[in-house]
Amino acid sequence: MQRFEGQVQLVLYPFALNPTSEVATQAAWCAGEQGKFWEFHHMLYRRQELWSRLTAPLERLIDFAKDVNLDTATLRSCVESGRMQDRMQADKAYGQQLQVSSTPTMFINGYRIVGTQSEGELVRLIRQELNRVRPQGQ
Amino acid sequence: MAKKSKARAQTLSPRQQSPQKPLTSRRWRLKLVIGGAVLAVALGVGGLVRFLQQRDLAPHLQGTGDKHYTQGTAGAAVVIKEFSDYT
Repeated sequence: MQRFEGQVQLVLYPFALNPTSEVATQAAWCAGEQGKFWEFHHMLYRRQELWSRLTAPLERLIDFAKDVNLDTATLRSCVESGRMQDRMQADKAYGQQLQVSSTPTMFINGYRIVGTQSEGELVRLIRQELNRVRPQGQ
Repeated sequence: MAKKSKARAQTLSPRQQSPQKPLTSRRWRLKLVIGGAVLAVALGVGGLVRFLQQRDLAPHLQGTGDKHYTQGTAGAAVVIKEFSDYT
């Protein structure tokens, strides 16, 4: 993102495909209420092996939350209240509208990319799109 | 009797008189043509569906990232929408 500063915006749609992921998604949004969405988001991926196979991962995620200085009681009550459910369902519906059936799926403007891509390939596709929307010399 | 048989042979149409091999060959050619046409129609329909799906994406993708976490510059020339699952 840094190399395309001012030219690219990334919009993240956490797309929960199973109940464990639903808890993590809600926890991430709840962390966002405390201004720590990205910290928590990155931590979820870094420590994925430690929680992603649990059927009830909330306790483990609450433990992790301490490491990014979140108020764990607030985080727990936010997740357990279920008030992020609507948001999650709305994103699911939006994804389905775009025929997203697996993750990761990306749209670079209107161009769909399914599956994990190397950094080099993503850079190439972003450059290609930038050249398309902003032809050189303009 | 022999005379009668001869007379019947003379009334056969040219098609009936033609050997079996060319007739089989014609049938195969017909099957190939029909198969090719079916394949072309299937490919055409597939292409059309793909085109319509891509075309439909454009208006849907215009929705902004309201209530979503973003990185980079708002209103940038290139917007990447990432759908990812934490597991």
